[in-house]
Formats: sequence, structure tokens, C-alpha cells
Amino acid sequence: MSALADKLHSLEDIIGPASLITDTEAVASYRVEGQQPLAVALPQSPAQVAGLLRQASQDGLSVLIRGAGHHLHLGAPPTPIGLVVAMDRVRQTVEYDAENLTITAQAGASLEELQRLAGERGQMLPLDPPGGDRATLGGIAATNLAGPIRMRYGSPRDLIIGLRVALADGALIKAGGKTVKNVAGYELGKLFVGSFGTLGAICEVTVRLTPKPERRAMLVLAMNSAEVKEVTGELLRSRLEVASLGIANPAAVERMRLSLPVTIAPDVRVVFIGLMGDGAAMARQEEEIAALSGGACARLNEAQGRDAWQALREAPYPDDANAVVVRAALPISHVAEAVELVTQFEGWWSVARAGDGLVYAGPPPDTTVRTTLERLTELRKFAGQRSGAVVLEAAPLEMKRSFSVWGQVQNLDLFRALKDAYDPTGNIGCGRYLSRPQ
Amino acid sequence: MDRRVIRSLTRIVGRQNVLTKPADLLLYSYDSSTTEGRPDAVVFPESTEGVARIVKLCAEGRISFVPRGAGTNLSGGSVPLQGGVVIVLSRMNRVLEIDAENLRAVVQPGVVNLDLQNVLAPHGLQFCPDPASQKVSTVGGNVAENAGGPHCLKYGVTVNHVTGLTVVMPSGEVRSFGGKALDPPGYDLVGVLIGSEGTLGIVAEMVLRLSPLPDDAQTVLAIFDTLEAAGESVSRIIAEGMMPAALEIMDRQTIEAVEASFPSGLPLDVEAVLLIELDGLRESLDRQAARCAEICRELKAREVSVGRTPEEREKLWSARRSAFGATARISPAMLVNDATVPRTKIPEVLREIQEIERRHGLRIAKIFHAGDGNLHSNILFERGNRDDFRRAEEATAEIFRACAEAGGTITGEHGVGAEKVQFMSLLYSPEDIEAQRKLKAVFDPRGLANPDKVLPEATRAGAQ
Ligand SMILES: Cc1cc2nc3c(=O)[nH]c(=O)nc-3n(C[C@H](O)[C@H](O)[C@H](O)COP(=O)(O)OP(=O)(O)OC[C@H]3O[C@@H](n4cnc5c(N)ncnc54)[C@H](O)[C@@H]3O)c2cc1C
Repeated sequence: MSALADKLHSLEDIIGPASLITDTEAVASYRVEGQQPLAVALPQSPAQVAGLLRQASQDGLSVLIRGAGHHLHLGAPPTPIGLVVAMDRVRQTVEYDAENLTITAQAGASLEELQRLAGERGQMLPLDPPGGDRATLGGIAATNLAGPIRMRYGSPRDLIIGLRVALADGALIKAGGKTVKNVAGYELGKLFVGSFGTLGAICEVTVRLTPKPERRAMLVLAMNSAEVKEVTGELLRSRLEVASLGIANPAAVERMRLSLPVTIAPDVRVVFIGLMGDGAAMARQEEEIAALSGGACARLNEAQGRDAWQALREAPYPDDANAVVVRAALPISHVAEAVELVTQFEGWWSVARAGDGLVYAGPPPDTTVRTTLERLTELRKFAGQRSGAVVLEAAPLEMKRSFSVWGQVQNLDLFRALKDAYDPTGNIGCGRYLSRPQ
Repeated sequence: MDRRVIRSLTRIVGRQNVLTKPADLLLYSYDSSTTEGRPDAVVFPESTEGVARIVKLCAEGRISFVPRGAGTNLSGGSVPLQGGVVIVLSRMNRVLEIDAENLRAVVQPGVVNLDLQNVLAPHGLQFCPDPASQKVSTVGGNVAENAGGPHCLKYGVTVNHVTGLTVVMPSGEVRSFGGKALDPPGYDLVGVLIGSEGTLGIVAEMVLRLSPLPDDAQTVLAIFDTLEAAGESVSRIIAEGMMPAALEIMDRQTIEAVEASFPSGLPLDVEAVLLIELDGLRESLDRQAARCAEICRELKAREVSVGRTPEEREKLWSARRSAFGATARISPAMLVNDATVPRTKIPEVLREIQEIERRHGLRIAKIFHAGDGNLHSNILFERGNRDDFRRAEEATAEIFRACAEAGGTITGEHGVGAEKVQFMSLLYSPEDIEAQRKLKAVFDPRGLANPDKVLPEATRAGAQ
């Protein structure tokens, strides 16, 4: 038997032969950016995940952890992938504790099923990442992805209070717990949330829930680009309880396919104001916002409103494998300026989450690679000068090879020391995040 | 301690900023817990650079160091257990920048929480964490403990309100993590450093997330004949989808202490006072306050009052605000713990605590941040009475065990410090603790930063 066959055999011993895919064609659907894994494992429990990681580390079989695969466009081009550990079947709801507003589920549980469960009790997971509810809870934790309601509820980093994680050496550890307040020991959960599967495999997640808001409303303001900064700034500092605050340029409105009750001239920016709450408070907020905007404010009807919430959430999701999506994270006062910069780029769309200082953008499909690279460089420079950072969230492989996905990372030496501590043989993550140059 | 080290310290911060006399050292041998330990020297740096030079000196001489803010922590965190240098951050107390446009403030660690709030208020802004110790405790201490406070039910704890840190690493190197923008690429070390109790380095500067002050607030105070009914009211309020800013309960022992020291007119023959604070948009408050009051009445509250003006609200809050001080006044010696359970487990754990109280013949004054299941059991004992103290310690251990078994934790906001190290194994397996130790080893391979805190020694954790 070949060395590889031996290794695969050891994996089969852990999860059973039926749960290990080695057939080339079947494995092909698990390719990531051109890399074909040697095998795909479908474990069914955290213990199996831990077993796989230990075995793979021992055998030097590099591991890429996968949720539903909806966000695998995130990350540097992978190094060769030995084993994909797909979490789809590690998906039990461990405990839905409605009274304590927490839910604990295994990593492979989809946001969709968890939302349905919580929805039955008038609650929700305040998570709305782009890519829809098909994403797994583990994937959301590993990427720390959030959406428009982050402004109100925080990001996964804020909402996840407990984790079980399988480490490279096969240890299955717990971090945090079930209580919102917990300072017993280090907050290891913070280390793993947003670590893109490079420090361990998140197997179980406990999330804070929130009561579903009574009502949602979406107001839009079409305004001159020059006014955007002032108006969004005022909203952010006001005592109103704006739940989400989006800014879109005309190209973005078009890309989102929204029909809005406002006229959109080229120099117009649309500000989307999401409100959540009860009727009385909502009416007053609408009045004040209308006053603040000099009456230029339109309230979307229910269907339009639903579409707008959805479109704003999905805006950063790449349309296809060739799409380029970039994210700039900035101090919030620079958001409007960044939208203007991007709008000057020929045909680029831009959607900002003004309350979180995030600006997403992308070129129109026919842009040349060279032009795109120039624009990305310009945007990165802009962000860098304003203590922000730019991440290339999605791009064709050749572009990722010429433009660093993560950019200059501060404290990289320390991150690598942590990586060495939790994954001494550098076996997991396949170089997608904070890796050493190949 | 080596005279040369003292001389070097003096060179760094100036003679007036180094204490070495036994009487002075004694003052820094305590915090607000019962732990004691004498430092060899106490220094008061005035700049990040000063802190860095001190820490570098310690690193070179293999001398342990312990950061200290106001010393209000309740877990022995700022007490040196191996001598060494106590680095007091209280002179680094400048608010460096209020950046209202970006909803951020940049502050030094020694800034007192309430002083910061007072500077922010004219801008219509606040820093959400508001520990009950806010008149004294430093923002650096709040960050180091990941402090909570009455309002964290709705607003979250310190870690949800800090976006950047400048840290003097245990090697003396200065690093910054995060900043005014969110999501810098890399692991979330801001999140990891918050709550690390000075064991991973010294926080020398912080970027804080500010929030607009709420539009309005109302306070409801309800008086109950049983603790259970107060607890049940809390559960119902949450079950109806309301999210008050605070839900606080005080038991009879606490009420008695308050009335004996700072009379606020509460009746003495009741078992519980529930304080509910609602904040947000004015228009939603009337209805919510009315509904909360109704729930309390349905659960047989003897009396319910609603405060709408700041004066009325302050009056309702006054008993709660003075509760800790009042309890300390009737019994200067007390063991405080802040074990936390999922909210619905409160009644069950309460019964156990009352049973523990009876079994040990102790008085336990209870104050809870009930909304988030955070129980403060203040165990009163007689200072100098060894037997009393031993029973108080036993009771503490039993409370921890009960809370851990109920799916909770041994500390919700006060930190592990020195006093809860031995209880970490109630929550974590040797492997869990080993994973935490890896983190410590990366930051502080020599083990000089606040040694013997947070994590049990490898052997004591019972690792294999
Ligand atoms: C009456 C009273 C009420 C309280 N109420 C609350 C409450 O509601 N919520 C709550 O969470 N806590 C509460 N506490 C506990 C305490 O006030 C908090 O833990 C507070 O955050 C400690 O701040 P401090 O400045 O006193 O820090 P210290 O007690 O001096 O230090 C606390 C810990 O932080 C470390 N440290 C201090 N400064 C730094 C720094 N710059 N860098 C790194 N490490 C540092 C110390 O080494 C120590 O481990 C209360 C305490 C009292 C006495």
C-alpha cells in the first residue's frame, strides 16, 4: 500500500470508510481556488473531528476545515490541501435555551435551521452575514462575518459566548460557556472566532439570542454626495436607535436591483436607514429623521423594505467566481469619503456599513485586471493613511497572486507564534490566513 | 530587592515615584479582596515609555511585576504573590482624545471610569461599562478585568466596547493592537487581552468605543415578600421580549444593611427588592415600564414605584448604589464572590445558597445583577475570627460548585485573580487549561507578568 493509502486508511478508522471521500471526481467539488484535496472527510461528531485533526497532524496531511462552503472565497490562495474536513454532518442543536436567550449548536448547523427554531419562540440569532442563511454557525464563527444589523447587535465576536474547539493535537477544548458574563480564565473564544480555521476546528458554538424586534422599517434618503458624511454622522451620534445605516452609490443600487422611490442621479448617494422596534418609537424616529434630512426621506413599503434589507445584506457577496469584492475597514468618519473615492473609479459599486466603518466595493465585470489592481492599490493606500485596512474578500486566483488578500498585517510575528503554539506542525488552514510566505 | 534595581527604577520614574519603605509597601499589599502579599517596590510611571522601561528592567532581572489600577478588584488580582514590583498606573490618567466624530476616546489606563463619563457626557456620549465601583476604579482595571456593571444586560461588558489597545508586553516591548477601525486583519488579540488581569502585559493606552447617551430612562422598583417572586418577575420580563438596561435584586440582609447605614425608607420586613431600569426611546418606555410594574404586581409585589424624572430615578437607585458600602459597614470583613448562572437557574441556586448559609451559620448578603445571572454573595464574617473565616471559605467553595453544576461560572465580572485559581478546575478540564496556558506562554514565556494568577499551576490543575 502507498503511504497515502495508509494515511487514508487511518482516517477511515476514525470515521468509517463511508464517510471518507477519495474518488477524484467526487473530491473535485471540494476544490478551493484550483487546489484539489486528496480526500474529504465527513465526520459526525466533535470527537471524530478531533480524531481526524490529530491523525492528520501526525501524518502530515494538511487540513482545510469547511462549513457549507459559501465563504471559501475568503482567504489567501491555499497551499496544497491534503484533507478537507467538512463539518456538514456535525450539526446537532445541542441546546436551545429560549428562557436564557442562548442557543448551542454544533458547527455544521445552518443559520437557516437555527433561525427557524428561534423564530418559533419570537427570538432570533442576531446574525445576518452575506451569503444568506445557508452558512453554517461554525463558518460564521470562523470568519466573524456580520451584516447590516451588526451596528445594533455586534459581530459574532460579541455574540458568541462559548465554543468547543478541536485542536491540531486532538484535544477537544471548551472556551467560555453559557453565561453572557464570564471572566473565568482567558477569553480563548476571541482567539478562535475570526481565525479562519487556522488554529483549530470550531465544533460547537453558543450564541446569544435576542427577541425579534416588533417591527422593521427602512427609510431611504437620496442625497448629494457632499451631505452624506454630515447626515450619517449626525444619525450615528444621535439618541435615535438606528439599527443599520447603509450608503450606496448609484452603481450599487443598480447591482442590488432595487427599485426605490427616489430619483438617482449620478452624484446621488442613497442612505439606507434601518429601524427596529415598536410602533410608537418608530413613528418618532421617522419624524426626526425626516426633519434632519430636510424632508428628503422616503419610507419603503413592506415589500420594498424587505428587499432592501436583504439586498444590503447580500451586497458584499460575490456574484460569481470571477467577481472582485474588496472591504475597507475605517474609522467611521472616513466612510463617506471612501465611498466617494470608489465612486470615482470607473463604474465601481460601493456599499458602506456606516456604523461599523466598513466599505465594500467592486469593479464592473468588464474591468481589466490591471485597472482593478491599480484601484485596489489606491484604496489600500487610502485606508492605510487613515488607520484602516483593506481586505480582498473575493477575486480570481491570478489577482490574489498579485495583490495581497490581507495586506500588511500588524503583529504578524505574534500571530505566528500563536499559530505555532496551537498548531505546532502548521498543519491546519492551508495558508489561507496569516501564513508564512511560501 | 537588589539596590541596583531600585536605583534603576528611580532613574526611570524619579525618586518621588518609587516606594520602598515597609510602611508604604504595606499599603500596596492589599486590594479589595482578602489576599495579601508584599511587593519589593512600588512604582508610579507617568508614560507608556516609563512603563516599558520598568518592564524591560524586570524582564532583564527576572523580576516579577504586577500592574495595579485603583486596587478595587475583588479577587486578589493586583496583589503581588511573589514580591517584585507593583506598577501603579494611577498617574497615567489623561484622556488623550475624545473623537466624537468616530465615536472613540483614547485614554490612559489610570483614568477613573466616572471621570471619563463626566468628560463624555457634555458630548452626549458615554463609555457603556459602568461597574458599581466606577467612582474609583480605573478604565485600565476595567479592561484588565473585562468589567461588567448593572447595565451590561443590554449593553454588554467591557470587551464589547474597546477597539484598540497599546500594550507593554512582558518583554518590555510596546505593541498596539486594533485601533479606531474595526476588524483589523489578524487574530483578535484585543479581545484576548481584555480580561487577562495583567498576566499578558500592561495596558498603557486604550481606544474605547463610545455610545450616545440613551434618549430617556425609567426606573421601576418593586418590593417582594419572597426572593423567588422577584426572580420570577425577571424571567417573565425577559420572556416577554423586553430588554431592560438593568435588572438588580437585593435580598433582606442587604436591605437591612442599607437601612442601617444609609436609610432610604425601604421596609425591613421584606425579602427582596427588584430594581428595573428601562432606557431607550422615550415613546417606548411608558408602555414597557407599565408592563414591568404589572408583571411585578401579578407576582404579588407588595409595592411598586416608577421613577420618571432623574430625581425620582436616583432616589430609587440610591439603596442599590450604597448596598456594597453599607454591607461592608456592618461587616468590614466579607468574602465576595460573583458566581454567575444562566438566569433561569437563579431560583434553584438561591435555594442552595440559602441552605449553605444555614448550614454554616453565616450571614450572606446577596445582590444580583439578576438579568444576566450574576450573583454577588457577600459572605459576612468577623475579622480575626479564624473559624468564621474558614466557614466563609467553605461556603464560597460550595457556592462555586453549585453554580458550576447549574451550568454557570465561578466569576462573571470580578476575575479569577488569586482567589479563584483553585476553582478553575470546576469549569475546565486539564486540556482546557492547557490550551489557556499556551496563550500565556506566547505572551509571557518567563512567567513574570502577575504570576500565579488566573491559571492554576500545571501540577495543581491535575494534568495527568
Ligand atoms: C464596591 C465595589 C463594586 C464593584 N462593582 C463592580 C461591578 O459592578 N462590576 C465589575 O465588573 N466589577 C466591580 N467591582 C470590581 C472592580 O472594581 C473591578 O474589577 C475594576 O475593574 C477594577 O479596577 P481597578 O482600577 O481597581 O483595578 P485593580 O483592582 O487595581 O486591578 C485589577 C486587575 O487588573 C490588573 N490591572 C490593572 N491595571 C492594569 C493595566 N493597566 N494593564 C494590565 N493590567 C492591569 C491588575 O493586575 C489586577 O489583576 C467592584 C468592586 C468594588 C469594591
